Formats: sequence, C-alpha cells, structure tokens
Amino acid sequence: MPAAHERLTIRGNLGAGSFLPWVARHAARLGLDGEIHHADAGRVDIDLRGPTDLIDAMEMGCLLGPIDVWVETIDRTPNPSA
Amino acid sequence: MPVETLRDWIPVALSADLPPATVIPAHTPSGILALWRSASGKLTALADRCPHRGMRLSYGFVRGEALSCIYHGWSYGLTGQCQRIPVHPELIPPAAIKAASYAVEERNGVIWIAFEQPETPPPALEGFKPLRSITLNTDAERITATGEMRVLLAGIDVLLLIVGIGVGETLAHVMVDAAASDVDCIAVSRAVEGWRRECEQLGLEELAS
Amino acid sequence: MTMAHQPMIDQWYPVALASQLPPEGRATQLMGMPITVLPGTPVRVVTNDGRDLHVIVRYGHVWTSLGKPSKELFDIPEADQPGRRLVEVGVVRVRCSPLRAVENFLDIAHFPFVHTDILGAEPHTEVGKYDVEIRDEEDEVWATKVQFYQPQAAKSASGGITTDYMYRVPAPTSTVLYKTCPARPGEWDVITLFVQPLTEELCDVWPWMALFDDETALTDLIHFQQMIFLQDRSILENQIPRLLPLDPGREIPTRADLTSVAYRRWLKRHQFTYGAQLVAQ
Repeated sequence: MPAAHERLTIRGNLGAGSFLPWVARHAARLGLDGEIHHADAGRVDIDLRGPTDLIDAMEMGCLLGPIDVWVETIDRTPNPSA
Repeated sequence: MPVETLRDWIPVALSADLPPATVIPAHTPSGILALWRSASGKLTALADRCPHRGMRLSYGFVRGEALSCIYHGWSYGLTGQCQRIPVHPELIPPAAIKAASYAVEERNGVIWIAFEQPETPPPALEGFKPLRSITLNTDAERITATGEMRVLLAGIDVLLLIVGIGVGETLAHVMVDAAASDVDCIAVSRAVEGWRRECEQLGLEELAS
Repeated sequence: MTMAHQPMIDQWYPVALASQLPPEGRATQLMGMPITVLPGTPVRVVTNDGRDLHVIVRYGHVWTSLGKPSKELFDIPEADQPGRRLVEVGVVRVRCSPLRAVENFLDIAHFPFVHTDILGAEPHTEVGKYDVEIRDEEDEVWATKVQFYQPQAAKSASGGITTDYMYRVPAPTSTVLYKTCPARPGEWDVITLFVQPLTEELCDVWPWMALFDDETALTDLIHFQQMIFLQDRSILENQIPRLLPLDPGREIPTRADLTSVAYRRWLKRHQFTYGAQLVAQ
C-alpha cells in the first residue's frame, strides 16, 4: 500500500470551533500526516499523506465530524500543489 | 479511583482458567478488560472496546499471537497494536490504530492486572496454591475492607483474594495451603460455597434490618 | 420527552403483529410512553390516559405514532406482488439503541465473523466498492451494487454464490434489504427489520420478509431468520456505547462502513436523535 498524497476539500457549515481540533485528532487516530491548507466557515482543505485506505477512512470520519458541524461535500484531488 | 490504586495489582483470574488461545472478560473495580492468552501462552490485557466500532474485544477469538474482534475481525497483537483489517487485506494498519493495553502478570497461578505499570511485581502468595474463583452477590466491603482474608475452611488454611467488581457483586479468588491434598481441595471447594451463602445471606439480613 | 426528539416522534413505528394480538391486547411502550394495542376492527392503540393514537395496519404489523407523521407509511411494492410468501418472524427484544439495530443490519463486513459459513466465510472478507446515496425525492438512504460471496445465502440456496444486495432506509428505525433470490433470478427477495423504540437503549425488533420460495417450510424460514438475528443480538448488546454515536470521534469508520456513515448523516440532518449519542465519549 504505497503512500498517497491527496487534498480533501470539505464544504459545509464548518464554522464551529470544534471542527479543526476534531480533524487533527481523527487524522492522528489514523496515523496520517496532515496539515490544514485552508480553513473558513464554509470550506476546509486538508492535505494528507498516507495509504489510500486510510485517506478513505479520514473522508468517512469527516463526512460526519462533530455534532455541531454539517459537512455537505468532500472532494479529493491527488498530489495537490503547495 | 484514587491515583495510588491505579498502580495496584488487581487479581482478575487464575492462570488455569485462561488456557492458551483464549480470551475472557477480566472484571475489575473500574470496569472490564479483555484478558487473553496467546497460543504461545503470553498474556495481554486490552481495553474491552474495539477501536473500529466499539464491540467488546472480550467476545473475540484468539488465533496464534493475535486477538480478533468478533464483529469485523480486526486483529490486535500482544501490545494491542492493530495488525489486520480483513475488509482491507492489503492495508498494513498504522501504529496509531491500537487498543489500549495494560500491565498484566501471572505469579503462582494467579493473574494480576494494573492500570498503570507498578514498580514491584504482584505478590507471590508463597505457601498457597490456587483453587478456584467464585462470584458473590454482595458488596466487597461487607466481607473485608482489605481485599484479602485468611480463613479456615474444612480445617484447611485458606487465603481469599476479594475484589469488588460492581454494585452487589464481588469476585473471590480462593487459594489453599500449598500442602493441601486433592481430597482437602475438594472439601475446601465445597466449604467455599457455604461461605458464599453466608456472605450473601449476611448481606440480605443487613438490608432487611 | 424533549423537543429535540420531535422529528422522530412524528414517525410511524411497529408496535405489534396484527395477526397475533391477544384478546386483552398487547401492553407495550413507544419511546418511553406506555401504550396498549387492542385487537378489533379497527385495531386501536391507546395511551394510559385513554388517548387513541393514529394507527396503520401494513406488512402484517400494527403501526402507530406518538406525534403527527407528515407522510403515509413508506411503501414496499413487493409486499403486494403475487407469488411471494409473506413471513412474519415475530419479535426479538434487544438491549441497545433502535438506531444501533438498524446500523448493524446495513453492514455486510461482519458476515464472515458473526454469520460464519451462512452469510459469509473467511477468506472472502473484502467488501468491494458500492454506491450509497440519499434519494432526495423519497428522502431515503439507499446502498446499491453491493456484492458479497456467501456460502449459503438463503434457505433456498444450495451452494455458495456471489449475492447482490441493495439496502434501503425509509424511516429512522425501519430498513429494507433486497437480496438476489436464487429461486427467481432477476427478482429480489425482500427482508426487512421494523424496529420499535421502547427506550433510547431498548428496542423490540420485528423482522418481516416477502420471498419467492415455495419449497422451504415456513418454520425453517422463520428459524433461519431468527438464528441470523440472534447472532446479531450478541453483538448489539455488547457494543460501547449502547447509543449510536453520530460523532465517530471514538471510532474508525473505513470505506466499507459507507452505508453506516450515510445512515448517520441522514439521522443527523433530520435531527433523528432518539437513541443517538451526540458527543463521542
């Protein structure tokens, strides 16, 4: 399972303060290297490195996230530029 | 639970009751752990909650040196590290996916666990050998405040390890004089059940009074 | 009953089998409210303070609601299809959230481990990619193109076959499974789970089926389904927490859990939170 490098673009109602810490915790639980590339109340971009199955798992988790957030869509772009 | 008791060894089972390649729920004053012995005989105590979807690992199965969750087969090694996710066979689970593991040691036929690694090994209880474990429907405080009791049962010197594992539920590990014969052991085993009834009856009377 | 649960109060729930109502009625409860289901024409469901609740009799069960459902009961057209056998399996009491019972029903990755050598077997553990969507018009969760290798997929199946599945969630605690029917290629067998929420951590599960199978005795059909469900119950009653988490902060959902994630999103969006845990712990 070679390491992939993808950007998750999450859109929705993401303004709650709980979201970014939740994302960091969940990435850590999956052993994924990740960094928040962009974050505002309607969109968060996360750059992730790791096996595709684990990036899929991160997407699964983020589709729910904490209760005070609503994620509408998640788009994925492989090998994002910086 | 006060901090110092986190470092105390808690007796949870007798070695003979946990054969190789078996998992059992280990009852402690602060919850249940999944206690298992690998095929080669090594002991591991894990949080009784699979990191995937929260199924109790004590309901799982042991194959070789790994414990598998009964729900989706996620397997964990001797350190609690996840080794296999059957639904994603090619994935090598990252180090981050693991079940919390706790200190576990067996000595003189008794298995002990601790929530934080104690400095000293568990007591050897020299002069005694393990007989059986039984559950009593009464509070441990009613029987003893210290967790240990010396009694004479059927004329034999007996050491009881007492652990409160829930409201009105106590676990007692019965150790007999190391020199006791098989016949003595059978006599003590019967006498222990009488002792249990007394403790439970005592509990009821107090409730009624 | 807090306002937070109003969306789930205004839903239909199964409370009895119409064909098995004793003369004095079935005393039961719905979301913590004691009710009695009384036989007769029409069947009645009354609360302890004598209030009559709305009642529908459909798919062999009596359905009622503590609130005002905005829609009729969901439709299962196959129920009226000639040639199908309608199988009432009965009721199984389960100490878990009604939402957990539905989520478990939607999952196939557990077949090789929980329903070993019946619905699945090692080493056929991998779950291929499948589609999940929330169909806006019906506002239901659907999982389609689901495939799994099964040693003995149904009573009527002789050997192991790759079975096709579709899953549907038309109501918060009801779910329908469409499964390839060995006896009638091109047709789907219909297996449902109608779950009655007694409390947030206790439910009565009413499995019901509409099958093409004229050979197997009714008792065997019922026993097969009950055995499957009792295997599931030993899981459902030993999952932590008993409530269904809507925040997977203490879990690790993977791609194979896609249907479960879609179901939880659907619950979250509609505020169907009776039996749900909102904050992961």
